[in-house]
Amino acid sequence: MDNNIDFKDLWKQQAVSPPNIKELLSKLKYFKRVSLRKLVITNVLLIATSAFIIFIWYFYQPEFISTKIGIILTISAMLMYLFVYNKLVGFYKTVDRTQSNSEYLQKLISIKTKQHFLQSTMLSLYFILLGSGLCLYMYEYTSRMTIFWGIFTYVVMLGWIGFTWFYLRPKEIKKEQARVNGLIAKFEAVNKQLSVNE
Amino acid sequence: MEFEQLYKSYWQKVFRLCMGYVNDYDIAQDMAQETFIIVWQKLHTFRNEASIGTWIFRIASNNCLRQIDKEKRFPKSELPMHITEEKHYSLEPQILFLYKCVAELPEIDRIIISLELEDVKQAEIANIVGLSEANTRVKIHRIKEKLTQKFKENGQ
Repeated sequence: MDNNIDFKDLWKQQAVSPPNIKELLSKLKYFKRVSLRKLVITNVLLIATSAFIIFIWYFYQPEFISTKIGIILTISAMLMYLFVYNKLVGFYKTVDRTQSNSEYLQKLISIKTKQHFLQSTMLSLYFILLGSGLCLYMYEYTSRMTIFWGIFTYVVMLGWIGFTWFYLRPKEIKKEQARVNGLIAKFEAVNKQLSVNE
Repeated sequence: MEFEQLYKSYWQKVFRLCMGYVNDYDIAQDMAQETFIIVWQKLHTFRNEASIGTWIFRIASNNCLRQIDKEKRFPKSELPMHITEEKHYSLEPQILFLYKCVAELPEIDRIIISLELEDVKQAEIANIVGLSEANTRVKIHRIKEKLTQKFKENGQ
């Protein structure tokens, strides 16, 4: 097809001078700080909580084995969360951005798929561990109460766990899934543009 | 390779690639900056297997594709609408129309045609995008046809 429009010439008339390089470097610092902050806060918060629980164990010397198991379950819930969270951050860090578009897209799709799996499985496991850990932990202390208060405590606690399990957890999972699924679908659609030559 | 040197010689090209991808001056500017931040961070890993141009364009186009992820997180409607409109519209309508048309193409086509218009060799485009050279050639041809048609319909 003969085209008499010089696209290249038009294209290059869009000229813009580069912003000052100093501005770029200051942005770089900001960039690093923000992405690091969330990671550090999450880690510090959960590790501090775990340390606090261990401190309680050490300080109050629980007598029942159930209390100790409870503590271990609670801590492992938090450690597991951290592990997965850090791993996800790591996935993004290791993506090689200098690959070709098609390799890069494949990589993004595989990361998102992993994320999809981790998020739903991990969130459920997190709630199970935390919930059962808490129930076991409380047993020693409620057993010292009167029956009424003991039952009352468990009813309140199980009510809360039930609320998080049946309401918060599915809601959270659904929200994340919808987002990640949407992304996977979109990435795959773009990837298809590479494979079919319509 | 000196970063400052690269920044000067590639800023325009990278900016235009981003501009063709989103057709939004401010977002394109941000994307171009992000690209150079990555270039800055990764420059020490550059091994001369590809030309530096190919290398930079790969980062830039991958960053464009990453945009899909970001759009989902910050839907455009949430961005402040005002400030953007003035500065760049001293440009001829034909130029604006070209960028608009390019930004309406499928994602990969946007990247391919932007690189072609930037005078990147077809073999290199194939290498950046990850297609065969033959496919790239066909695609470029078709995209140009599409653009020509749009220009004609529009009476440009």
